[in-house]
Amino acid sequence: MSRKLRLLSVLVLGLFLVLAASTATAEQRTGAWLDEIIFSEDPVAEAVITRMQAGEIDVFASGRTEVELFELVLADPNLDYETSFGSYAELTFNPHGPLFNDGRLNPFAVHEIREAMNWLIDREYIAQELYGGLAIPKYFPITGAFPDYARYIDIARALEAKYSHDPRRAQTVIAEQMRELGAEIRAGVWHYDGEPVEIIALIRPEDERRDVGDYVADLLEGIGFKVRRDYRTGAEASPIWLFGTPAEGLFHVYTGGWITTVVSRDQASNFYFFYTPGGWATPLNMAMQPTDEFYEVAERLNRRDFTTMEGREELFVQALELAMKDSQRVWTVDTISFSPRLANVSVGADLAGAIAGSYMYPFTIRWADEIGGSMNVAQPQIFVDPWNPLDGSNWIFDMMPIRGTADWPTIYDPFTGLHWPQRLKHAEVTMKEGFPVSKTLDWVDLDFVEEIVVPRDAYIDWDPVDQVFITIDEKYDNDEIITANKRVVIHFEEDLFDRKMHDGSTFDMADLLMPMILTFDRANEKSVYFDEAQVPPFETFKGHFRGFRIISTDPVVIEGYTDGWYMDAELGAAFFAGAWAFWPWYAQGPGPWHMLVPGLMAEAAGESAFSSAKADKEDVEWLNYAAGPTVEVLRRQTERAIEEAFIPYEATLGNYISAEDAVAKYQNLMNWYNEKGHFWVSFGPYYLERAFPVEKVVQLRRFEDYPDPADKWEIFEEPALADVDVTGPRRVPRGTEATFDVIVELFGEPYPVEFIANVVYLAFGPDGSLLFSGEAEAVEDGLWRFKLSAEDTEKLLVGVNKIEVAVTSVLTAIPSFDYIEFVAH
Amino acid sequence: MPEMQVDTSKTVEISNKKPGKPQSNFSRVLKYFLLRIVALIITVIIGVYIAILIANMGGAVDDIRKAQIREQIGMQMMGDPAFMEIPAERRRELMREMEEIEFRRLGLDTPFPIRSFIYLREALTLNLGRAERMTSDSGSRQVRLVILERLAPTMLLMVTSFLILFFGALFFALFLSRRYGSFLDKAVIALAPTSAAPAWFYGIFLILIFAAVLRVLPFGRMVTAPPPPDTFSYALSVLRHLILPVAAILSSAIFIVTYNWRTYFLIYSSDDYVEMAKAKGLTSGLIERRYVLRPTLPAIVTSFALSLITQWMGNITLELIFNWPGIGRLVFQAIGLYDSPVIIGTVVVYAYLLAITVFALDIIYAIIDPRVKVGAEEARR
Repeated sequence: MSRKLRLLSVLVLGLFLVLAASTATAEQRTGAWLDEIIFSEDPVAEAVITRMQAGEIDVFASGRTEVELFELVLADPNLDYETSFGSYAELTFNPHGPLFNDGRLNPFAVHEIREAMNWLIDREYIAQELYGGLAIPKYFPITGAFPDYARYIDIARALEAKYSHDPRRAQTVIAEQMRELGAEIRAGVWHYDGEPVEIIALIRPEDERRDVGDYVADLLEGIGFKVRRDYRTGAEASPIWLFGTPAEGLFHVYTGGWITTVVSRDQASNFYFFYTPGGWATPLNMAMQPTDEFYEVAERLNRRDFTTMEGREELFVQALELAMKDSQRVWTVDTISFSPRLANVSVGADLAGAIAGSYMYPFTIRWADEIGGSMNVAQPQIFVDPWNPLDGSNWIFDMMPIRGTADWPTIYDPFTGLHWPQRLKHAEVTMKEGFPVSKTLDWVDLDFVEEIVVPRDAYIDWDPVDQVFITIDEKYDNDEIITANKRVVIHFEEDLFDRKMHDGSTFDMADLLMPMILTFDRANEKSVYFDEAQVPPFETFKGHFRGFRIISTDPVVIEGYTDGWYMDAELGAAFFAGAWAFWPWYAQGPGPWHMLVPGLMAEAAGESAFSSAKADKEDVEWLNYAAGPTVEVLRRQTERAIEEAFIPYEATLGNYISAEDAVAKYQNLMNWYNEKGHFWVSFGPYYLERAFPVEKVVQLRRFEDYPDPADKWEIFEEPALADVDVTGPRRVPRGTEATFDVIVELFGEPYPVEFIANVVYLAFGPDGSLLFSGEAEAVEDGLWRFKLSAEDTEKLLVGVNKIEVAVTSVLTAIPSFDYIEFVAH
Repeated sequence: MPEMQVDTSKTVEISNKKPGKPQSNFSRVLKYFLLRIVALIITVIIGVYIAILIANMGGAVDDIRKAQIREQIGMQMMGDPAFMEIPAERRRELMREMEEIEFRRLGLDTPFPIRSFIYLREALTLNLGRAERMTSDSGSRQVRLVILERLAPTMLLMVTSFLILFFGALFFALFLSRRYGSFLDKAVIALAPTSAAPAWFYGIFLILIFAAVLRVLPFGRMVTAPPPPDTFSYALSVLRHLILPVAAILSSAIFIVTYNWRTYFLIYSSDDYVEMAKAKGLTSGLIERRYVLRPTLPAIVTSFALSLITQWMGNITLELIFNWPGIGRLVFQAIGLYDSPVIIGTVVVYAYLLAITVFALDIIYAIIDPRVKVGAEEARR
């Protein structure tokens, strides 16, 4: 498999080169396509669309779900949109019962009744009518547009057929179970203990879930329940459904909704999270009662207790089936959000995070017919919280412009969630045997060994007093052997230290070591920068971290050891002691060390604090590098740093930077402040020209010294969705062979075979039941074929059968479907 | 929409008591004002405490906020693969630690009844404290700064509109009262019901006409994006952005206010002493100033003062429609986020402004209305 995938990645890179060569102007442009991006706040979506039509706004970086707005966008030829799939909705049932503390009946404590709700609701109706087509029916706790769904497409489709809308069956099952509970139906209404059975539907009124809640309430009333509709906003509902006591019976069913902002390549832990008491320490989860079998499967998936992908598949398939039987949550739809933009705007949007959540947007956003120019981007909010890299604003709308100023060692593929090298040259990942890790792209080398022993000279801890790293040798007196599940060696680009930052400074080793130092130091009580809010995340880090070594500083090569791992080696090279652990990108933004220093000095002096928790505790201002009262504090501290020629963590970083280097960098920072009025210094394709917090405007300008070609990530401007067409006979005699062709195209051209992961076909009988399935074979680019054997067609039922084909590409996580109906006789 | 309060009841005593033991003017005035101050302080205390109880739903907001914190931390941690690899029991401990840190930060570890009096103490001493969820535009958590930053845009919009409306309507009403029954007078009467629609309603139409169709004025915001670098251009830009929201406010209020005051002036114009003045042959200007405008002054001043301070609260919907960064939107956001200190801070400032205004009106009445004698027990009528 790895050889094939290596070939694919070479071809993908080849495609990049072809695309790059085809655009003559692209060769001359480096860094950002645009000269300027203006972000501004406009909270009223309808007004933004009108402003877009009037030419005032070019992009609305907000995932919308309003059908009326969508129709406006569709109706205007000058408007277009990007879609994303990061949100999903469900019905959560109260697990307690069958009797609440006050003796009322909770039918949903019975899993058969919950399971029957799958047949009662019509997901197609919810998606098409209630969500106006901006949704896709959903049955499982995994997202239809993410890789796990594509991996197990055959079992998923079979289960979807099994649990498709069948109200009669639902009513039969529910009635049977209600009678078993001792309820009886009188005058069309279920009664228990002489009283009508009342269902409390806790309905979120803020979005389409209001309609879904009403629809479900109507359905329940239709089968004999009395329903009380309790409309509450998220904030009001949370203390009831999530943190209330289920035994008190304050709700029976709740219209839940969830969101994820990045394409997750591994959603196996969702079963444990959504269906088991261990998943989340909330009263709701604690009251859940999955079967032992389901709990074990979910728990093993959560622990990733499997050694091969086949082993994972076995567990995953079980989990899908058992989740449907359990139905503690009945999933309704994956919502499709749209982010409006002008038709002549091109941008690489993320399948989960859309435009606002995309890491790729700074490198791809452009006018389709022009290089350079200015673009106006509206967002519902901006400058919600202060900007600082360590613990500043984490609002998606603040993070969008922040990401525009940044760069990363590796970068998210917006369509698959894989990582591509950005500032890395390559990486080597060594896994302990028994971990089902594979690789897709060529920039990572992957191998397996029986045991990974962490070298004695690897750094594993930090001394906040002496300000030096502690090696394993120093930490453990005896000859204790420290082992790890993963070793990753990251090789940064050779010219890394020549790259310029926005203020003219260049990278150095201190920029790469500072993130690791701060991870340890800020969580240690002996540090002057101690912040109690850092302790819990540090405990998490400590749980998997097993050490690191600096192999070389020119070029930079760092070796990390950890017990944490991902199924994809590319992600393993990026995270868990990978490249991102040694890159000046912190939780909330980029942070060259010389930019952080004045903030750290201010925090040590008690004048300000990075985290909101510490700022509140010490009654000082929360650090804001972009604007506001702390800019003056930063100015003062920068002057102090210049005067003192301050080297942070001198015992360690002093080995890599001199006092002269430090002063030169602080001077650059001060010059930057004098010119721009803020301290936000980074190294991405755009720099922060001005921040207008009161006017709610952010002005980013193209950073001319950013050397990467502008078209480097051009391929991510549009997802490579396959266009599928199945052709074949319309009449198939049972017991004879039948051949079907699958035409697969990409942007009107044959889809290269190399980029197709698989083409699966599923045969359904007239009653919707899955009869059999199989995989098609490639004939040539754009053409796949499968032959039903006489044995297969014998399984067809007389009448109209259906064959559905699912095509999965390695270039995008979204599978494409088509089907053909034919008469079997 | 600013409201012109024409017939606001007087807050001073009109002296009509029988003569008693004579008192010096000074002690009489002092006693009266002291009593008024005490009454106003008690009113403010009660008002602010009620506001605290309402803003916190009598303490129920604590449950909401705790649940929000737990949910937020849970979601944050569950999205971290490293966290999910930690044993379940340890995970729960870590989450509890994080929750407690956040509870402490927000003071949720102190029971609400105690905290409500801390809120009250801080509010009354004008120590507005720190916002819990919101930050000022420039990133400060100080409620004082959060409010102050939004005050300027609100004042600019609302006070500009109010002043234009107030003086425009005043003079227009006087003008109409002299032309009772004229076409213009009838037109104003006919148009008065248009004020049934709020300012934001007119705002939408004005945006559609002047921004979307004619494209001569901006859709909203306070200034262009990015804001002009020099002060003069900046001011011009603000003025341009001010036109539509001000026009929306004026459109929704001008006719009804003019109609009210014109009626008011007409009533005073028909008093006997005005007829007498007319009979004596005084000029109409003199009659208006001396016999019509003067007796109506207390009501006009009351209306002016009370309407002016109501501008403080801004106009939530109008500010949303025009994307105007004012107090109205701030309060709207604060309510949505259950940020009690910001809500309370806004109410406290309003309560103080109201109390001070009412007190000042007492003094002003005594000065401008010859019929009013504060605290007098032997005054003549």
